[in-house]
Amino acid sequence: MNRMEFMTELERLLADMPEEERQAAVQYYADYFADAGEANEADVIRELGSPEKVAESIKADYYGTEFNEADYEYKDYMEKYRQRSSDERDRSRADYGKNCGQDTSGNGAGNRAGEEEKSRPWTSNTLKLILIIAIAVVLWPVTLGIALMVFGIVVGIVCFFAVLVIAAVSILIAGGVTVVVGLVAAIAVPPAALVTVGIGILLLVLGMITTVGTVKLCTIVYPAMLRGFVNLCRRPFYGKAV
Amino acid sequence: MVFNTGAALLDAIVLAVVSREDEGTYGYKITQDVRRVIDVSESTLYPVLRRLQKDECLEVYDRQFDGRNRRYYKVTSRGMAQLGLYKAEWKIYIQKINEIFEGGVTA
Repeated sequence: MNRMEFMTELERLLADMPEEERQAAVQYYADYFADAGEANEADVIRELGSPEKVAESIKADYYGTEFNEADYEYKDYMEKYRQRSSDERDRSRADYGKNCGQDTSGNGAGNRAGEEEKSRPWTSNTLKLILIIAIAVVLWPVTLGIALMVFGIVVGIVCFFAVLVIAAVSILIAGGVTVVVGLVAAIAVPPAALVTVGIGILLLVLGMITTVGTVKLCTIVYPAMLRGFVNLCRRPFYGKAV
Repeated sequence: MVFNTGAALLDAIVLAVVSREDEGTYGYKITQDVRRVIDVSESTLYPVLRRLQKDECLEVYDRQFDGRNRRYYKVTSRGMAQLGLYKAEWKIYIQKINEIFEGGVTA
């Protein structure tokens, strides 16, 4: 990886940052390479580590999250692929750890974590899922009860609104029937028929209004419920990203 | 170096390094100067400089150099005040540490 490739990659990795931030960072590192001189280019790239590491250090500070240098322990980006003389390096690092009285096993874990940088998020998510399922299985008498209760409440709410619509439609139908009955009776007893038809028309109108109203209510409530439910299900998996 | 350099100390060192140049100084030189004293990786300093700039402790300006624009950093008056504070705090700190290490003999 040369300077051009490094800068292109860095710029790409910072694409999701505000324009001003990205430009400032790119200008800084472009300056840095220019001032270090062409002769030191390889050294600077090795020292900086990967573009990923540099991008992460910039973002970490900007977004106020914690940047863990140990995750990017492999300083030479190329070495990550070549793996040359990695044993030697491990030994020297272990010695260094001893000299400083640090926990060498901790250092080793840090290195390995750096190596598996890319596969780690997958592992942690899967682990989380397995853990959730395991907890649910262990506590099944409780979780089953809660699940049934939630299910019951959801069904109750869904049915409640559906029943409102059914009731409104029933009024509509009743109104229609009353009007028809009134018209049939008109031949025999005209005054009573007029009253019946009148009541029928009133019911018909009332039924129409409530039908439209309740259907409208359902179109608002059901999608909202669905969205809420989906969000609730997604939260455990995307909690950190939000 | 066995001792860790915390964020505040790193800020103080960077401010001190930049304040030594009246005309201001640039990223690569700051990094070299800081690395002469403490062991930090080259990617550590950009976020620090950016933060100090946002806190108005440093100001930047571009100057022509070698046919390109080079970005210079300069300590503001606010930065100088902050550096003074760090220096005073540091004096108290090393005094206390020395008292414990050497039983009252202060440097």
